[in-house]
Amino acid sequence: MAKNDNFRKSDFEARPPKSSGGRSVIKPLSVLVVLVVAALSIAFFLTRRGEQAASAQGNPATVLNSKPVITAEGWVKGSPTAKTILVEFGDFQCPSCALAQVKIAEVLKKHEKNLKVVFKQYPMQNVHRNAMLAAQAAEAAGRQAKFWEMSELLFSRQAEWSNVPDPMTFFNKYAAELQLNPDKFRSDVMENEIRNKIYRDILEGQMAQVRSVPTFFLNGNMLQNIKSDVEFQQLIDKAIQSAP
Amino acid sequence: MKISRWIYAALVSAAFLGMTDSSYVALHSSQGFLIPCGFAGGCDQVLSSPYARFLGISIAWFGLAFYLTIAATSLFAFFSYPKVLRVSFVASGLAFLISLYLLYLQAFVIRAFCDYCLFSASLVILIFGLHFWARPWQTT
Repeated sequence: MAKNDNFRKSDFEARPPKSSGGRSVIKPLSVLVVLVVAALSIAFFLTRRGEQAASAQGNPATVLNSKPVITAEGWVKGSPTAKTILVEFGDFQCPSCALAQVKIAEVLKKHEKNLKVVFKQYPMQNVHRNAMLAAQAAEAAGRQAKFWEMSELLFSRQAEWSNVPDPMTFFNKYAAELQLNPDKFRSDVMENEIRNKIYRDILEGQMAQVRSVPTFFLNGNMLQNIKSDVEFQQLIDKAIQSAP
Repeated sequence: MKISRWIYAALVSAAFLGMTDSSYVALHSSQGFLIPCGFAGGCDQVLSSPYARFLGISIAWFGLAFYLTIAATSLFAFFSYPKVLRVSFVASGLAFLISLYLLYLQAFVIRAFCDYCLFSASLVILIFGLHFWARPWQTT
């Protein structure tokens, strides 16, 4: 304690703060700048590392995942014959997937004729308890040719059904809104074939190292570390330009 | 009133950890894209809930501003002006109340917890507590 007292005296009491002038401001300021830069760099590094962990090479912009083949089978939007194919592994309960949906709509609007978007189910049940049922609901709507309509409702009203114990009441409501046959919808949702289809998508994603949602594959290559919407757009623009 | 240098060290360290934590969350929130949903239990639910934003800005940015204030005031207090701890005392009291409210939201409204938010809440409690130890209102 005695040491502290000495330190205190010499540093604060013996010296009137104002007379110490510039130095007393420069010292704390410079330490502050160092601290802020360090904190921001650590945060930035961690942000990047989380996304790079999935790739063995750690190549920042795009990583070629050539081993597992991503098929173009799934729910298709845009031009079915386009050479450029964007595959999304998505989860209806994932908020960033809902945001991504808007971005995809923008991209599709721009490249209606040259882009094929494929949606594959990747409900992360361990973190999103109603995601599997939502996937089933979307598939069941798909049996009545309303997959995209249902998926839009599920994404836009995510907050409504995400944390309720019985999301089916909401899904039935959406089905009614889309004028689906209610009995068929209800029985389809629980059907094994639909569940199996979703599990096949999940398996495909797991083989291709999908670890978070949404994960995109552009012409079979996993897109990683996308820093902005602009970069996402540019990657797609480039792929379309260089398409044969 | 004498303020031990350890209190300053603790304040600056807590503020540094807080800046790292809040800027990590803030950086993720500003991307709005490819946020890993998988790792910590309720991060996704908490950070995407309407409570995660205030005036349209992610509250992580406000957290960053708070920790920046604490870092600045404790450094200035340490090097020359111990009185500025009065400012950070008021700020940390405010942050303490806000943290309690956010904890309440996580526990009872969103019903999900996010690691980064819990860590930040404990830092705020620590910072507030350290101010009681330092008693800035007694500084002359």
